[in-house]
Amino acid sequence: MKWSLRRTSLKQNRREFLVKTGGALAGAAIASPPILTRAAETVNIGALYPTTGSMAQIGVGCVAAARLAAEMVNDAGGIKSLGGAKLNLIISDVQSDTTVTRTETDRLISGNKLSAIHGCFASALTLIASEVAERAKVPIITGSSSDQLNKGRIYTFTPFARASQFAKAQLQMSKLVSDKPKVAVIFENTAFGTSTSNGLRELAPAEGVEIVMFEPYSAGFTDASPLVNKIKASGANALFSVSYLNDLILIVRTVKQVGLNVAINGGSGGFVIPDFYKNVGKLAEGLQGVAHWNHDMSDEAQEVNAEYKKRTGEFLFEYAGGLVAQTFMLADALERAASTDPQKVREALSTLDVSKGYAAMAPGGKVKFGPDGKNIYGRPVGVQWQNGDLASVFPKEDARAPLLKT
Amino acid sequence: MLEILAQAVINGLLIGGIYALVSIGVTLIFGVVKIVNFAQGEFVMIGMYISFFLATQFGVDPVVSLVVSMPVLFAIGVLIQHYLIRRVLGLNDLPQIFLTFALSLLIVNLALMLLTANYRTVHTWYSDEVFHVGGLYIPLAKLIAFVLAMILSGLLWTFLHTTDLGKAMRAASQNRDVAQLMGINPNRVFAVALGIALALAGAAGSLLMPFYPAYPLVGQVFVLMAFVAVVLGTLGNVIGALVASLLMGVAESLGIQFIGADSGLIVVFALLLFTLAVRPSGLAGGRRR
Repeated sequence: MKWSLRRTSLKQNRREFLVKTGGALAGAAIASPPILTRAAETVNIGALYPTTGSMAQIGVGCVAAARLAAEMVNDAGGIKSLGGAKLNLIISDVQSDTTVTRTETDRLISGNKLSAIHGCFASALTLIASEVAERAKVPIITGSSSDQLNKGRIYTFTPFARASQFAKAQLQMSKLVSDKPKVAVIFENTAFGTSTSNGLRELAPAEGVEIVMFEPYSAGFTDASPLVNKIKASGANALFSVSYLNDLILIVRTVKQVGLNVAINGGSGGFVIPDFYKNVGKLAEGLQGVAHWNHDMSDEAQEVNAEYKKRTGEFLFEYAGGLVAQTFMLADALERAASTDPQKVREALSTLDVSKGYAAMAPGGKVKFGPDGKNIYGRPVGVQWQNGDLASVFPKEDARAPLLKT
Repeated sequence: MLEILAQAVINGLLIGGIYALVSIGVTLIFGVVKIVNFAQGEFVMIGMYISFFLATQFGVDPVVSLVVSMPVLFAIGVLIQHYLIRRVLGLNDLPQIFLTFALSLLIVNLALMLLTANYRTVHTWYSDEVFHVGGLYIPLAKLIAFVLAMILSGLLWTFLHTTDLGKAMRAASQNRDVAQLMGINPNRVFAVALGIALALAGAAGSLLMPFYPAYPLVGQVFVLMAFVAVVLGTLGNVIGALVASLLMGVAESLGIQFIGADSGLIVVFALLLFTLAVRPSGLAGGRRR
């Protein structure tokens, strides 16, 4: 399929991108794609996503976005410093399973001459893949938020906000809804739920937020009513729910049925995907969350979103959108490395410094990696469901719509 | 305080009605056919998907789609009895246990493959309707589910006590050999028992659909409670399973409310162990009705 948006702004952006990276070929972007006279080599990029199993719905969306991003780079002329080399995406299904992730990552690296990898959505999977990539000395770029990914690794790059930053943003958002936020934190009693909620509890005093209820629950309950009854009794005016999709759907429905007036913050992950709204419907209106990427952040993001929507019928969700930006970060690094050698690509990624174009599609609009592989400008964006769409509402610099206090 | 307590009891009773439909099916199969059906939860799941597809494809209300899900599952039950369970009856217990266990795994994995792991919900006009009584609230969808669950349980009880076939089933459950000597055809009785049990699971699925998302593993959430209720209410005793289910719903709800949100199952299983220690054959004693 051909990447064929005919909007002027896109052409300008494409040109900007080319001026930055390719210079001499910039003019060609306005005309038809350049015809190359010498055969260009291809650049193999590994893409590890769970396209089957419990995370499949998100994984499939990621693959669609990865394909779109590679096409965009290729249609804009590929990697010019490599004679217009095209990105060749090698997709691998990690099946939402840590063991499979380990073997698939190994297989992908040993079976192909990869220049870089991106993946895997869930932090638990990415931690494994990044370990394997680290040993094989292949750079991996990821939107996964676990702070663990920035510890003791030099081939792992995380251009977006970290889990600890998400907690802080959630607490700050609760202060926008009420002058005296009384927060109920409920979380499933798993590693994910416990670590995220502990982060919230540790940061709350410094942010001046009072936590009136801090309650673990067993994931996969049959009925959210008793839990919601308890939230009601706690007198909370804000609710942070650290939950996976099924529990969250039941909690939201029950809160609305009870007529409990609390501002719900559902965090990120399963909360910021189109499927959430499809399941919860109008009740999702006004619900808040946090994300490392949102489709309304910048002109570039909106253009990519429009094309993704045309292809899949859904808006470009957090993780998939961030992944398009990551592909352009890789393209930028490849351009400067002028090599497909993974070690040289890693060097180029470590000196990446972008503030415009598709590669800079991140809250704050700037990407530059610190020694721990963390984007030094990385920050989350607060989002809210408004009219069936996810709108950026926090912080002020990134807000594209006012926060509705429902 | 009293209000919170009353609300917790209401919440427990409402979900207990759903547990009852599942556990009555399990106890009926155990009582009559003498096998433990580990796949009962999976039939709840099938019932949910039937209602989901009827609702999304033809706009049929999930509660109305009971009239489809129950007969379909009844037929599945009869077929399973005829082609699978009949073959392993009379052997020792192990093949029977493995048969229903394998059936459960097969259905779950088929569903994962064919239907994907996505959550599916149906939104009806009454999904978010709530009755407010004083400071208490009663969600309409759950009330409908509870009332229909009680009606279906009542119909089953009436069937077991007033019809010849029902009496034959009770006779077979009390003493299979004597029943056979009295001219009761066990294969026919077993097939009907399986059919009814699965139809109840299908009904539970349809009734859940307006307020609970369907996904391939959903049955396992409910079947655990059903097994506890079956043991608590004396194996094979329909009324016992019904009462125990309601009791467990309330115990779970009170546990979450007053002990901790991750204590629901702790309370339920503590209740089970306590009951077994005091009355080893369950709340209803040794009687099987």
